[in-house]
Amino acid sequence: MAGVMVYVAIAVFLAGTAYKIYHWIRAPRSSVRLGMFPRPENSFGRGLKLIKDSIVFPQVLDNDRIMWFFVIMLHIVGLGTFIGHMRMLGEFAPLYNWLGKDGMDTLSYIGGGSAGLILLVAVLYLLFRRFKAPYRDISVPEDYLLLLLILLIIMLGDHLRFFAHFDVTDYQAYMKSLITFNPAFPAAIAESGARWVLASHVFTASLLAIYFPFSKLVHFIGSFAANLVRSD
Amino acid sequence: MAEKTINRELANVINVRLNRQLLYYIDICTRCGLCKDACHQYVATGDVTYLPAYRAELIRRVYKKYFTRTGRFMPSLIEGREPDDRLLDELYRTTYACTGCRRCMYYCPFSIDTTWLLGVAKAMLLEAGRGSPILTELAGAAVMKGENIDLFKDVILESLKDTEKEVQQITGDASAQIPVEKTGAQAMYVALAGTHTILPVAVIFHHARLDWTLSLFEAANYGYFLGDNKLAKTIADRIVDEAKRLQVTQIILSECGHAYRVMKFLYEAWAKEKLPFEVKGIVEVMHELVESGKIKLKKDSIAEAVTYHDPCQVGRNAGFYEEPRSLVKAVSRDYREMTPNREKNWCCGGGGGVVAEPAMDEFRLKTGMKKVEQIRATGARIVVSPCENCRLQLDGLNEKYNLNIKISSLMDLVADNLVAQK
Ligand code: SF4
Ligand code: SF4
Repeated sequence: MAGVMVYVAIAVFLAGTAYKIYHWIRAPRSSVRLGMFPRPENSFGRGLKLIKDSIVFPQVLDNDRIMWFFVIMLHIVGLGTFIGHMRMLGEFAPLYNWLGKDGMDTLSYIGGGSAGLILLVAVLYLLFRRFKAPYRDISVPEDYLLLLLILLIIMLGDHLRFFAHFDVTDYQAYMKSLITFNPAFPAAIAESGARWVLASHVFTASLLAIYFPFSKLVHFIGSFAANLVRSD
Repeated sequence: MAEKTINRELANVINVRLNRQLLYYIDICTRCGLCKDACHQYVATGDVTYLPAYRAELIRRVYKKYFTRTGRFMPSLIEGREPDDRLLDELYRTTYACTGCRRCMYYCPFSIDTTWLLGVAKAMLLEAGRGSPILTELAGAAVMKGENIDLFKDVILESLKDTEKEVQQITGDASAQIPVEKTGAQAMYVALAGTHTILPVAVIFHHARLDWTLSLFEAANYGYFLGDNKLAKTIADRIVDEAKRLQVTQIILSECGHAYRVMKFLYEAWAKEKLPFEVKGIVEVMHELVESGKIKLKKDSIAEAVTYHDPCQVGRNAGFYEEPRSLVKAVSRDYREMTPNREKNWCCGGGGGVVAEPAMDEFRLKTGMKKVEQIRATGARIVVSPCENCRLQLDGLNEKYNLNIKISSLMDLVADNLVAQK
């Protein structure tokens, strides 16, 4: 069940994102230049500013340091966590040769573990922030729903990290079954009580992926486009 | 039923104006609320309906309700709304209040231009017959003047005679003139209502021996504030047509922030044509005249502390930060910078046509609080600002909060501190 869901999620995510981009570029560009000043002199400067604005959020740092800290945490650690999950696809050879299996396990326990906790705190911060005026007054149910969904995914992930004790090879076997279109939990997972935690983690993550392109989360690509307009 | 159709038609105003930028702005706002600290109106009132994202959400929710799947099937998820009386009332209040300073765009991590969404809101209000009456009236008067300029011409020319005499007195040159309708002049200067924006410029141009002519029209454009692009274009057409007729190579707009924005950044998009002349602001022209040595300033001639207020439409929205500063600094001994300044400068609260609406007076002066704090912190006695709307607001703030300051235009500052040329 969680297996089929993954395929649907990936398909909807990709198609939805492609549709969103198409939906944007299909619309005519504004004939008015909406940029503000100071404006970079050339396209190299524009590109640089775009990257800085979209990745470091200097305006947020200037405006609300606490928010900046948690937002940076959420995004950078979130990205790191995504990359960390790649270990399930296969070991990163240079690192593996250097650290060995035990070393890799320790690294992922410390790295993944702290990432999971940081994400938890960051999302809780964003969630509680929304209950406060004036943020409460501009929030819509979608905002809470997304945060709760993400919170759930993180909590389930943290549970797997700290309480389930599956070996990376089990995850790799599961991942392999997904890639070969024959989704099944390997024995070590299937026989464990924590399989429901994993199934729920996969399920909620899939839900998020499905909703992603149709929600405000499209800012993950839209911010680059819109920040480019800043220096138009 | 009928109401449903009307609402749909109103919502459709958003749809026909959709472009790529607007779609980004609709889709990606995360309602993080970071723009709250950017808006002087929210900061001064604490009223959430003035929070930039709140204003923009009004439009976003209507759009999503009518034109997105989520909105059609699960409107409650995004709190989709119909453009009913309640929404339109709220839109009217928050949209015509916005000064168009775009400080919220500066601080938004996604550079969302709230004013662009509010432009759509104004179009919707106009479609519903709810445009600002006072701005409509002022815009109408400008159009009327354009259509009947022959009736006005004599009065204008007559009133210029006294100003011309003053120019002659100040410059000590009895042949000094305020040229009008001069075909083939190099530049056409577009002033504002009242001679106070003509006199200093005439003096400066006389010193610089500039080949110029004065436009019969004023630069201000209430059609733009009203949000009616067609009307705004008609008003701007008066100036464009005059400049074309006189075959000038450039027009120079007076110290009027939005007039420059209209001519420099909007007109060509509206008219779908390239203007056959260059559009300049008097700020950059004065700076060029000093740089090229055509006029000379009396160095350090002002002893009192001077500060400079970046008008949003001159700074953030047009990019003149250093040019005006270099002029102010040249003539003042004690120049002090406000904090924050340049692209982060606080809006004074007088933009966007709010100075034209008497009913907004109290709100307007209240929302100038940040500017008052900034000015007080500098301890300056003179505040220079090259925008008429800013100056009107600063005058109001000065009076209300007993700032005990003198507010000066940049043109006056320059004209009063010229070294006589031989
Ligand atoms: S700062 Fe930008 S993204 Fe955040 S609420 Fe304001 S407009 Fe939306
Ligand atoms: S443009 Fe200025 S006045 Fe308007 S919402 Fe943004 S910060 Fe407020």
